[in-house]
Amino acid sequence: MPIPKLSPTPGESYDASQKPPPFGHPLKQYFALDDDYVNLNHGSYGSLPLPLIFAVNKWNYEIERNPDVFHRLTYQSLLDKSRAAVAKLIGAETDEVVLVPNATHALNIVLRNFEWREGDLLIGASTTYGAVGNTIRYLADRSEQPRPAMVNIEYNFPLTHAQIIDLFRAKIREVKHTYANVQFTDVPPLSAGFDKNAVDKKNKIVMVIDSITANPGALMPWQEMCRIAREEGVWTVVDGAHSIGQEYNINLSEAKPDFWLSNCHKWLYAKRGCAVLYAPKRNQYIIKSSIPTSYEYVSPSSPAFKEKGTNFVMQHEWTGTMDETQFITVPDALAFREWLGGEKAIYDYCHQLAMDGGKKLAEVVGTRVLDEDGELTATMSNVQLPLPVEKKRGEVYTTEQLYQINNFLKEKLLKEWKTYAAHYWHNGAWWCRCSAQVFNELSDFEYLGKAFNAVCKEAEETILKKSV
Amino acid sequence: MTQGLGPELEHTPGRSYDPTQKPPPFGRQLKQYFALDKEYVNLNHGSYGSLPLPLLQESSKLAFEIERNPTIVAKLIGSDVDEVVFVPNASHAANKVLRNFEWRDGDLVIGPSTTYGQAFNVLKYLSDRSEQPKPTLVSIQYNFPLTDAEIIETFRTQLRQYKREHAGTQFTDVPSLSPGFTADVSARKNKIVAVIDGFTANPGALMPWRELVRICHEEGVWALIDAAHSIGQEPNINLREAQPDFWLSSCHKWFFAKRGCAVLYVPERNQHLMKSSIPTSHEYTGTNFAKQHELPSHTHESALALREWLGGEQTIYDYCHTLALEGAQRLAQVLSTKVMDENGELTVYMPNVQLPLPIEKQPGQVYSPELIAEINALFTRQLLLEWNTYTTHYFHNGAWWCRCSAQVYNELSDFEYLGKALVATCENVVEKLFS
Repeated sequence: MPIPKLSPTPGESYDASQKPPPFGHPLKQYFALDDDYVNLNHGSYGSLPLPLIFAVNKWNYEIERNPDVFHRLTYQSLLDKSRAAVAKLIGAETDEVVLVPNATHALNIVLRNFEWREGDLLIGASTTYGAVGNTIRYLADRSEQPRPAMVNIEYNFPLTHAQIIDLFRAKIREVKHTYANVQFTDVPPLSAGFDKNAVDKKNKIVMVIDSITANPGALMPWQEMCRIAREEGVWTVVDGAHSIGQEYNINLSEAKPDFWLSNCHKWLYAKRGCAVLYAPKRNQYIIKSSIPTSYEYVSPSSPAFKEKGTNFVMQHEWTGTMDETQFITVPDALAFREWLGGEKAIYDYCHQLAMDGGKKLAEVVGTRVLDEDGELTATMSNVQLPLPVEKKRGEVYTTEQLYQINNFLKEKLLKEWKTYAAHYWHNGAWWCRCSAQVFNELSDFEYLGKAFNAVCKEAEETILKKSV
Repeated sequence: MTQGLGPELEHTPGRSYDPTQKPPPFGRQLKQYFALDKEYVNLNHGSYGSLPLPLLQESSKLAFEIERNPTIVAKLIGSDVDEVVFVPNASHAANKVLRNFEWRDGDLVIGPSTTYGQAFNVLKYLSDRSEQPKPTLVSIQYNFPLTDAEIIETFRTQLRQYKREHAGTQFTDVPSLSPGFTADVSARKNKIVAVIDGFTANPGALMPWRELVRICHEEGVWALIDAAHSIGQEPNINLREAQPDFWLSSCHKWFFAKRGCAVLYVPERNQHLMKSSIPTSHEYTGTNFAKQHELPSHTHESALALREWLGGEQTIYDYCHTLALEGAQRLAQVLSTKVMDENGELTVYMPNVQLPLPIEKQPGQVYSPELIAEINALFTRQLLLEWNTYTTHYFHNGAWWCRCSAQVYNELSDFEYLGKALVATCENVVEKLFS
């Protein structure tokens, strides 16, 4: 493992005046991963390129030279630079974008700022990320009023985009029917019936929509879903944790979600602890307080409120002392990506590899890819694992066995085979989710297939006690 | 730019430290173990802390193992391991507690007037809800200088006053250690929650918080102690004895931990109230406190080891506390003003000294809010950029003050230098803004 110095030696960072090596294994040298680790799971935690590690370390020392100069005089303009760079990438204005520690945090900021009323509906999905689902549950779990009612859309993959949209639309219509006696007149600003000056807005429906689900790792038709929600007067909170750096051409001014968030430390090569929260100007009045509440909080009863409103951007500039190096080095991540070839080149390579790699993996393990027509794949591919399938829950596996298998796969893959892809139980079958990155090649998928064949066989023999 | 100061595995003189060798004496010679600019006279350790080089180097290592070790901190503060979790910073900890309470109309939340701005704002935010339920926010007015006895009296009197003013409300939702506590949930109507500073920020004063907690117990008031400045500064924190309902402190201020790390203490009897971490976690099931907060503790073992090597908590305390008192006296001399803490009760490592600027007897007589902001901005720029030194500066109770921090790398001459800088800066302020 290389121990970073403050100044990289040749090859440890990159020479901007030289052409980059081609995509694939030659790029491994720019990442801090163990040489022998076949990483097909970039999607979970990201992987920090060496140039970023150096940039962050430099800042660590720079900040300690004079913490007061940094925090009081230098920091804000650096943060603004990062925000501007991210905003440009996602088709938003700089002042619609703030940086926060992670997607879960961003999601909590939005959902906890809504002032819920009895009768409100908060809609998630069966595929919603665990902590997000739990946030929704927590809000609905209040022991007394007010609490929104929690509703879920069932998504059982494989599904096409058309099917997803149908399920989505049907659920909205269903809840409106079920709760026909509730007046859902608190609609988002772009929806029909929005009245800025309405005094008593009654109830609202808020939906958390994944742009890319976690398990499976599937690209959703989220722009269309936002459009439908807008028509139906439903607030949209788009959980795009996986999007920035993976989804090409995100254009939020066009898609117009009510809120959108993404992790920069997943696919954008930023240091862990950096996510973006997008709140268009028309909706910033809803975000009354950052979490934690900041020095820059403006009380509606104060004279400053007329001028500053909820002070969205300034509130999120500072919410307590923390490590800020991940926020201020976002431009370094973007510069590195430009040098590699730029967003399109990265997307083209990774997308093609995800498609080809998924097919190859399915071949090696003798199963199938989840995404039959290519709609669901950005740069993550889902392949079924060679383990028994259930048509009815409980037919093959006890809950304990599912848990054991998950653990078994994790331990064996990481420790014995030195490779990894996220694995999960979904809709009666076992699947894996592979992440195609600029340092991956087809042979990585072949190796992973070999590993899965061996490990799954062992799992069946030892946990399911079957002779295979 | 500090080139070549990369992390190394061997202990090299000035880069890391050799635990088998005695440390240099406190003062100038210890500066080599901190990453501060050589020429920077740092008298403001209290705001953001300063990470010692050995810890900075350790945290730079790729293979840096993140230790989960609440044991160290629990021991230091006299609590059980399962009553302590780590969160990113003190503001986060305060928000966790205050946002987990299920507020009802009629509830009272009490903050001190001197509370850290950001902490006060979460109280405001909670009471600013445009609809029910929202607690009512009231504050205890503290105008320093005050003695411990005066602080206690102020708190007790104003608390009783507020109870009288809200005599129509049934404050039957009392903490479990208070008289009148009932297990019958339906009998619990409204509650009073008090945020009490263990240390105020500006002024930097050690509060008689244990006594205030005792008063809260008697009066049936929930006590959240904002002790951001305590760990690593306040000696003999013994939470098992003091029994606050909630307590929090920043580890990256005086305990040498890396930014941002704070500790939140919730005794077992109160953990059922902390329904969710913030953000809500994978492990949320409604109550499992410790499991919901699994966060790394960032170099606590190393921080403790370094402090032990320097001589241990008592040695650090003796040096810094003495320097705080003597440094303040010297500074007051140079400025021809006075120290705030006349009998030494309020000072651990952070003395407060008045600045040579006009005093106002009535609010608004001399200073508008805009002028105060201008003066603060001028101080920041001049001290940091022209004089290469810093102390926090604030307007309080009609006068201007500074709050210094005495650390193991400081000496008396630092206070003299600061005095010089402050004299010049204040003259500048008077010239620019009062002519």
